[in-house]
Amino acid sequence: MITSASTSPLIKVSQLNKFFGNKQALKDVEFEIIKGQPVALVGPNGAGKTTLFSLLCGYIQPSSGHISILGQPAGSAATFGKLAALPQDAQLDPRFSIAHQLKFYGQLQGFNNKKSQFEAERTLELVGLKEVLNEKPDALSHGMRKRVTIAQALIGTPEIVMLDEATAGLDPLHAREIRQLVANLSGETTFILSSHDLSELERLCQQILFLEHGVLRQHQNVSNENLAQDQQSFITIRMAKLIPEFEQSLLSIEQVSNVIKTQDKEYLITITPNINSQADTLPIDMQILQLCHHNQWSYRQLVNGKTLENQLFN
Amino acid sequence: MSQPSYIQQSLFRVWALAKFELIRLFFTKRGMLAILAFATAWFLILYYPVDSAVSIVASDGFKDMARETFGLLGLSALLKWQVSEFTLYWLIALFTFPVFTLGASSDQTCADRTRGTLRFISLRATRNEIIFGRFIGQVLIISLLLLLTLFATTTMAWWRDSNLLLPAIAKASQLFIELVIVVLPFIALTSFFNSFLRSAKLTGVISLLFFGLGTILVTLLTYKISAAQYLNYLFPGVQLIDIVGQDRIQVSHYLIPLIQTACYLTLASIFMKRSAL
Repeated sequence: MITSASTSPLIKVSQLNKFFGNKQALKDVEFEIIKGQPVALVGPNGAGKTTLFSLLCGYIQPSSGHISILGQPAGSAATFGKLAALPQDAQLDPRFSIAHQLKFYGQLQGFNNKKSQFEAERTLELVGLKEVLNEKPDALSHGMRKRVTIAQALIGTPEIVMLDEATAGLDPLHAREIRQLVANLSGETTFILSSHDLSELERLCQQILFLEHGVLRQHQNVSNENLAQDQQSFITIRMAKLIPEFEQSLLSIEQVSNVIKTQDKEYLITITPNINSQADTLPIDMQILQLCHHNQWSYRQLVNGKTLENQLFN
Repeated sequence: MSQPSYIQQSLFRVWALAKFELIRLFFTKRGMLAILAFATAWFLILYYPVDSAVSIVASDGFKDMARETFGLLGLSALLKWQVSEFTLYWLIALFTFPVFTLGASSDQTCADRTRGTLRFISLRATRNEIIFGRFIGQVLIISLLLLLTLFATTTMAWWRDSNLLLPAIAKASQLFIELVIVVLPFIALTSFFNSFLRSAKLTGVISLLFFGLGTILVTLLTYKISAAQYLNYLFPGVQLIDIVGQDRIQVSHYLIPLIQTACYLTLASIFMKRSAL
């Protein structure tokens, strides 16, 4: 469980079960989320991610178990304005302008006309769409509509924002802008992100909720800096080309205890600290880079630790 | 400045939702077209049947025959109305407005539910507030349309005889209250259907089946079990035949629609709370 004793959790879920007929979508799910860094919700299709999102937002009721959002039951009026979400595939009303709808949501959150207008403009500016204020949703592209629905989730700077597949369907530039936005706003707002793009979640999230067949496994996104000096650590390297002798060459380095080829041209290197090594020995990552340099092997990426994908699936 | 109480916040949200419904009708293209169609239909009703009938009913030669016919139908009290326009208006409005209401209020939440918009709203308003907000919005819309027709009828009477202005305003006010009470359970019924159905068309079909097959079923049941006649109180408009003559009106004639409204809104609230958004 990833909580600090001194911080009360923003979200606390215990013994959560959800059945759809005879099918159990979630099995005894338990976790806590504290204020701070974005949290990732990952898992294969049909794992129960959207069901968990819907339960947290109060869209559906649990079969059993308990959900507490900011100390209140899910869907409680006390969470209005404090919890916002971008549900998957939810659309704005095509008959009204974006400004009109965002203002309406602001008013429902208790803002007056002026403040609602300000919030509509501010949130659209955050997602880089201030110019579409008076457009109707149908006049926008799929990606723009998605960003507008992200804007609605940011009205009033809520404490928790849940984004279900926020960057799906966005072009790389705008997906990057949304990631940047999440990174910038993290702190005052705690984001819960669901995505199939693990590299995206890896960049943003420390806490990972991994759902598989309705069962939750929790992960801390491990990087080597969190490890003690005498602990086994990992380095992931992605090469530019396939090099047949690369694994053997890596194993010739004293501290490298194991090398696994995780994907095409990607290697997971296990580092076992050697307490007898000389004080002037180069750090292990430098030694690996030196090896590449001497052999003129180009690399694409060097990750200090395991990639999220390797953490979850290897 | 002190924080508004929960009830104040809740009322504010209900009003915001109701206001949004009004804007949907008066400030969207589709809404404006609906109003235009409504106004045209009522122009035709007022210009042809009402205006023509008034001159016939008001003529001395026809009065006796009209009295006899209306008497047979239990409508003789209507002939005593000083403003004849409202006699015809009442007969038409009493039976057309409920049907119109079923159509006009058939999409209170279902399109928003299908589109997912209700998910955005439900993070900012309780499900009860959504139901009541939309219900009040529909009541305001139908009331405004009723006022429009009453205003037109009053103007017609005034045009015919300027002395009729004050009696026409008085009668219009009375009929406005009566007609609003009549349509309330119809709006509440569609609120109830909207709490679990996902399209306005389906709501229309279910409403048709409810009134069509429902009344047949209750009639057959009553044939076997006489107590089943009380099931007729399930149907909004059950009191219409009793009030059309405006004779021997009882308190129950107003209580029935109000109780039906309360019951259907309660059912809508229960179903909405259980339904997935």
